[in-house]
Amino acid sequence: MTLVFQQILNGFVVGGTYALFALGFTLIFGVLHVLNLAHGAVFMWGAFVGLFTVTSLGLPLYVAFIAAMLAAGLISVLVDLVAFRPLRARGSPEFAAIISSIGVAQILMSLAQIASQTQVYRFPFGTFPIVFYNVLGLRISLQQIVIVASVVVLVALLLGILFATSFGRQIRAVAISERTAALLGISVSNIHGLTFFISGALAGAAGVIIGIAFNSVHFLMGEPYLLRGFVVIILGGLGSITGALAGGLIFGMVQTLSIAFLSSALSDAILFGMMFLILLVRPSGLFGALHRQVRVVRQ
Amino acid sequence: MIGFVSSLQPLGELVLVNACLAFSQYVVLRAGVFSLATAGFASLGAYGAAILAARHGVPMPLALVGAGLIGAVAGLVLSVPLSRLRGVYQAIATLAFVQIVLSLALYLEPVTGGAMGMNGLPRLIGGWELILVFGVIFYAMLALSRAGIGSTFDAIRQEETVAVSLGIRVVDYHRLAFALSGALGGLGGGLMALRNYSLVPEDFGFPLLIAVLTFVVLGGRVSPVGPVVGAAVLTLLPEIARPLADYRLLVNGVLMVLVIIYWPHGIVDTIRLHLRQRRHAVSQAAP
Repeated sequence: MTLVFQQILNGFVVGGTYALFALGFTLIFGVLHVLNLAHGAVFMWGAFVGLFTVTSLGLPLYVAFIAAMLAAGLISVLVDLVAFRPLRARGSPEFAAIISSIGVAQILMSLAQIASQTQVYRFPFGTFPIVFYNVLGLRISLQQIVIVASVVVLVALLLGILFATSFGRQIRAVAISERTAALLGISVSNIHGLTFFISGALAGAAGVIIGIAFNSVHFLMGEPYLLRGFVVIILGGLGSITGALAGGLIFGMVQTLSIAFLSSALSDAILFGMMFLILLVRPSGLFGALHRQVRVVRQ
Repeated sequence: MIGFVSSLQPLGELVLVNACLAFSQYVVLRAGVFSLATAGFASLGAYGAAILAARHGVPMPLALVGAGLIGAVAGLVLSVPLSRLRGVYQAIATLAFVQIVLSLALYLEPVTGGAMGMNGLPRLIGGWELILVFGVIFYAMLALSRAGIGSTFDAIRQEETVAVSLGIRVVDYHRLAFALSGALGGLGGGLMALRNYSLVPEDFGFPLLIAVLTFVVLGGRVSPVGPVVGAAVLTLLPEIARPLADYRLLVNGVLMVLVIIYWPHGIVDTIRLHLRQRRHAVSQAAP
């Protein structure tokens, strides 16, 4: 029984990281109504920037965390400029946006492959102190506590920006209707840029966390997270913030439990099967009714 | 000279196999269905053909037909729920299908060999058989395009509401597109399996899905010549320009972004559009 609780705890931690990754993904869909398939590549670059700040510059981990968030945010803005803005100017359909973001993802991955010479990197030993606590018979590492704490802080920050600042109000206005927002004097393209920056920064934070938790950083690490990110945002409802949070937690628990008690190959089949079912039964996601801040478009 | 030609043969065969997979993606995109399921169909077809030919000694043509049938059935089954979805949701659901097939191929070790895949498969398909299969498929695609189905697909893709108002049963045509895509994808996978000596689940994952999508985006989504041109260009480009081979991913990405932004209809369809406009202009100027 302790084993089950231990796995649920581990799933909760993993799920928090998935939620962090998926929040940026779903934010862009909520505001711009396009899927950004370069999100995984931005995440991967965040991990690399964090790694190089620690290994090459020798700076402490929290500096690396902030550097990774800033860098991934800027890369994400660049993705917007290259892949999405030219298409928006022409009013192209969602199909074109998906294709061009896949193209940019390939460019980013290829650049990372050249920069890293196709090697798998690790954070140096002792970057993070290895300490374990026993709470009610469960083993909790300091790392897990810090991960959960940083996820909570970042999510609180995101909600604060979205719901308590003027920027957030503008973002929500653009999400509801770009035309009306523009008529009210909001610079829509600036808001799009800001949205991409926030989304990229969240991905960068997730990149560093995953890089440390699994102690491996390489140029292909974005792809599996992108695919799992799909499951998370479909579970919670495309474009929904609360949905992405809840979806991430559900995903993390189902994944750790099914890997622990079934098999890792079957775990993917279960998760993607779950997503397939949700799409058929309830395409607006499990939490589709709970959120009002962003619109879900079914075209 | 002979040495040069024989070095080109495997490359030419690869182009033909890729073109078959590209047709599978082309059929759905032309009908306005945003399916990315081709990689999954190819996986089913490849394992089907390999198991039929290598374990049960089924002759090659029958194994290929079997691969196509498996794909078509999968496509039909998939189309029942998926013809209700549109756009991004359809794309994500088919992505899930590809991932489910991939992880089942890893899990069902007694049947598929798991992560090790199937090795030591007989090579039953050579250049001539490939040309024959490709010729038949290409002819079928041309015929389909000239028959009413092609223009019906075009109508649904361009404006579904208008298509419905013209009395087109959109769901039926979406099912047809899915089934055709499944058959072609299964056939393409079968060709891969009977040509490559070995088979692993990862051959049919996200990278294949993107590659096939790129063929069609680059070549064009309306004319059946488009997917062939796309597959040929992207398969041959890294071989012709050797220094580019190391940067294959980079070149692919740059091409994808440039084409979708500047030539959104793809090479073949943009040229056709251009020629048609010029002919039109000439015929207007003549009298």
